[in-house]
Amino acid sequence: MVRPSRSYRVFQGVNGVVLTLVVVVTLYPFVNIVARSFSGERQIRSGDVTLWPKGFNLTTYRIVFHDSEFWRSYGNTVYYTVVSTVVAMVLTTCYAYVLSKKQLKGRGLLVGVAVFTMFFTGGLIPNYVLVTSLGLKNTVWALALPNAISVFNLLVMKAFFESLPGELEEAAQIDGLSTYGTLLRIVLPLSKAVVATMVLFYSVSFWNSWFGAFLYMDRSELMPVTVYLRNLIAGATGGSNAGAATADLSQVGANIQAVTIVLTSLPILCVYPFVQRYFVSGVMLGAVKG
Amino acid sequence: MKNEGQLSRRQILAAAGFVGLATLTGCGGGGDGGDAKDLSKKQNGAMKEYRVGQQFKASKPLSFSMLHNDNPGYPYKANWLFWKEVTKRTGITLKPVDVPLADYEKKRSVLIGSGDAPFLIPKTYHPSEVAFVSSGAILPVSDYTHLMPNFQAKVKKWKLEPELDSIRQSDGKYYLLPGLHEKPKSGYSLSFRTDVLDKLGLSLPTTWDEVHQVFTAIKQQYPDRYPLSDRWSTNTPFAVGALQSYLGQAYGVKAGWTYDNISFDSTAKKFVFTGATDAYRQMIEYLGKLVAEKLMDPESFTQTDDQAIQKLLGEKSFAISANPQELVQTYRYNLTKQVKGATIEMVPVPIGPAGPVVLGGIRLENGVMVSSKALKSADFVAMMQFVDWLWYSDEGQRFCKWGVEGVTYTYSGGKYRLKDGISLMGSDAGAPKDLQKDYGFFNGVFTYGGSWALVSSSFSPDEKKFQDAMAQRRQLPIDPPHPLESAEQEQASLWTTPLQDHVTQNTLQFILGKRPLSQWGAYVNELKAKNMQQLVDLHNKAYERYQKENG
Repeated sequence: MVRPSRSYRVFQGVNGVVLTLVVVVTLYPFVNIVARSFSGERQIRSGDVTLWPKGFNLTTYRIVFHDSEFWRSYGNTVYYTVVSTVVAMVLTTCYAYVLSKKQLKGRGLLVGVAVFTMFFTGGLIPNYVLVTSLGLKNTVWALALPNAISVFNLLVMKAFFESLPGELEEAAQIDGLSTYGTLLRIVLPLSKAVVATMVLFYSVSFWNSWFGAFLYMDRSELMPVTVYLRNLIAGATGGSNAGAATADLSQVGANIQAVTIVLTSLPILCVYPFVQRYFVSGVMLGAVKG
Repeated sequence: MKNEGQLSRRQILAAAGFVGLATLTGCGGGGDGGDAKDLSKKQNGAMKEYRVGQQFKASKPLSFSMLHNDNPGYPYKANWLFWKEVTKRTGITLKPVDVPLADYEKKRSVLIGSGDAPFLIPKTYHPSEVAFVSSGAILPVSDYTHLMPNFQAKVKKWKLEPELDSIRQSDGKYYLLPGLHEKPKSGYSLSFRTDVLDKLGLSLPTTWDEVHQVFTAIKQQYPDRYPLSDRWSTNTPFAVGALQSYLGQAYGVKAGWTYDNISFDSTAKKFVFTGATDAYRQMIEYLGKLVAEKLMDPESFTQTDDQAIQKLLGEKSFAISANPQELVQTYRYNLTKQVKGATIEMVPVPIGPAGPVVLGGIRLENGVMVSSKALKSADFVAMMQFVDWLWYSDEGQRFCKWGVEGVTYTYSGGKYRLKDGISLMGSDAGAPKDLQKDYGFFNGVFTYGGSWALVSSSFSPDEKKFQDAMAQRRQLPIDPPHPLESAEQEQASLWTTPLQDHVTQNTLQFILGKRPLSQWGAYVNELKAKNMQQLVDLHNKAYERYQKENG
């Protein structure tokens, strides 16, 4: 084994320090929020809470757990995320698979249509008019359909499919599989890495998105937890602008905010480490082929 | 790379077509309002005789769509007694389109822009309605106030015509039904740690000079701390927005939250540029002095509210801007728990060179816009009568604020008392129910303005003392109407933002001493280079035109 050169070791040392700092900076807000969620309102208000809960209590968790509004929004988020991700995966996989076939006529046009939307959008109001006149408002479809195909994900998947050896598929066809059969039985089982990555990409973005729901949902019982959370935080900090009627000036406890943030990001955090290994390899596999 | 050639022409054309089409449909809403003056066919459900003091009741059940601002402090519930009781009393069912408070303005713009707005659009602060005027999507409500006897009566009784004139557009009409106040209600002032003042043998200051003396005395006792560390610097382009606003008032100038590039010089009878006036400079000078003498924490201008409050609670500062609610619920509530023997009180806004005054125009509140679509409806007259009853009649206002007598409150001897077991904004911590959260009353969408008796009925003792003192002050005259035409409006908005940015940035630099006040002349010249004079001239032209056309 070659011993690493001196400069390389210096580089590694510096690298380690810099990355550790980055980790600290990234982790601190999160640890702080978790600490706040277990702390007393008074300790938060006086700025005592940093890394460790002060005035430890679970009452806030109890309050939020009993808030039917929170759980309703939470349920909505789960529902929207699952439906949207399924729809997005089916459409993206089919689109990407088709695009990966070199012999397809008009393939350039199909790619172009997708890429075009990366650079140009219709704008807020035309989009709103479209969704409304299609009668999608106040349904899950208003969230699922407009975001069903993310062009970035599509291109990564397309590149991955292109990297699969064509001979495999030819063999499958000789053995009598139809196009869909080839996709479902040969290509997809070989693409678990990229599929897992895409599911993660899509579900995280649907879980975190709020603007679509805010725009297309008119009733509070349809709002996902992100909108609920946003209103809680923005309402608590921005409500005191000039001229606001006293009735507007309501305070939502700082610890309630913290608890809600923790509970909202928890599922994603739990899933992340387990899917992560697919994650890196999935994107890389596509990238090499380019 | 081979794709790029193919995607260029056909696709761009097709896409351009789509965009164009979508834009057309988007802007197609609103527009033709039908015959505006003839209301005979729009009487469905309306009352033939509807007068002040009369209960509005639709002759047949109707329903109206309404934008509802969902406050996280009391999230929307469909089973609020408020909704049921409105229907019971008036025969009207309100159909709320629920929008989270955090992004209310955004959704309102999208809904109006796409022609999908509900009939009633409350919680609109002047001048945000101006943006929608040229689209025709919003009704010029001033044409229909004859359907609203309570509104007219209150305007007349409380002499609010000059205020209403100030929100008129260049066509002489106004597009917003504002909340009406009998007396100006003040919001913000300084609060002081009174136990610390007592210890030092100081009394609460009544003028800004005394404020300076009190701060100096505190500084001598605690040289390592700042007497004042202020808040309300985030979520607003103005650093210490509240402090600047009420300090500016003492100098007779619109500053901070209330800042407006244009203000009226009543001696010269013309409009001038606010940020270049002498009064504005004096206000800056005062704040600069506080910072230079280390009486005011320079972080005040950038820190978050929470940081400022933490300094107060940690006794790193002894004074802070307050409103009556923050005083009681945040400062006093936390201070008594954390600092032994601490007391804090809010003073009536200290008096400055302008004497005991309050800024004019604060008797109008946010209000209701009506969608132009509503005019086409056969129910239009009934809707306007309903709006008049719910938002402007004494009974409607009392109902929105306190609820149902005998159920949520009792009234005797001029005092409203909540029924046992009902709390309002923490008035009774042990109560199982909350007037806002569980019943839907005292909702900011419906509850504002009204007679002084009603407005003051919910004041805490602290607020009562504060408001009573403030109500004695003389109101500064309101700027005369000077509505711009839509082309002028566009021109003005191009100039307004860079000017205001320059004012706010330099205000801060002057205060922090990063730019000496001797450069004031240079600063005014910079404003001139940013079209200050043109903007002022534009407004003066509009003012003269309005004078000529409307007397």
